[in-house]
Amino acid sequence: MNKGNEQSKPKTAFLFVVALSAWMIPGGGYYLLGEKKRATVVFAAIVLTFCIGIYVGSIGVIDPVGAVHWYLAQMLNSPLVAVLGYVSASGAYPVYGKPSEIGQIYTSISGLLNLLCIVNSVYMAYKLSAAKET
Amino acid sequence: MHVDILFCSLLASFTSPESVAVAPLSFLWMLPLAAAIAVVYKATKFKSIAPLAFTKACLGPFASIIVFSIVVAAALYIITYFIT
Repeated sequence: MNKGNEQSKPKTAFLFVVALSAWMIPGGGYYLLGEKKRATVVFAAIVLTFCIGIYVGSIGVIDPVGAVHWYLAQMLNSPLVAVLGYVSASGAYPVYGKPSEIGQIYTSISGLLNLLCIVNSVYMAYKLSAAKET
Repeated sequence: MHVDILFCSLLASFTSPESVAVAPLSFLWMLPLAAAIAVVYKATKFKSIAPLAFTKACLGPFASIIVFSIVVAAALYIITYFIT
């Protein structure tokens, strides 16, 4: 029983590290697992989508005060989004209408796509560590 | 010097919104997003990523997102036509 717990602790820590690195840098979780091509594709797709969003709508679309729900989805891109949120929280970058709409959709969808990648990389890490055990 | 100016103007472009017209053409903004969704979705499913096979595989979900969006738009248009 104790032996099982001791074995599961490093595995849990490994899964946590994979999840954290996947959140810090899109594709980081895959990179940690040695899936470099997959990491590159995911990084390029998510970062490009996010950049298109803030290019069209400006950094004003990251609004932790007036658009909290969108902000939560945007935060899934990376914790670095909080820095942009801190800058735009002053209200110095107002954005309205269609650019705001498109910017928020792009940045939030890229965040949700990163959530998919975080979950998938943790699942791959779990399968990898389970295969090593057997 | 020129690099500094280029870098600063590049950063500045992220601080003011672009003008996007409220017109039918603005629906084309859906295409890059659909491509990104297709690429990331297939990246999570593919066993080993080879450029050509991966690109071909991405075309499926990309096309299905667009076709389904058009079908939903047409259905909503028909419903609105009969209601109003």
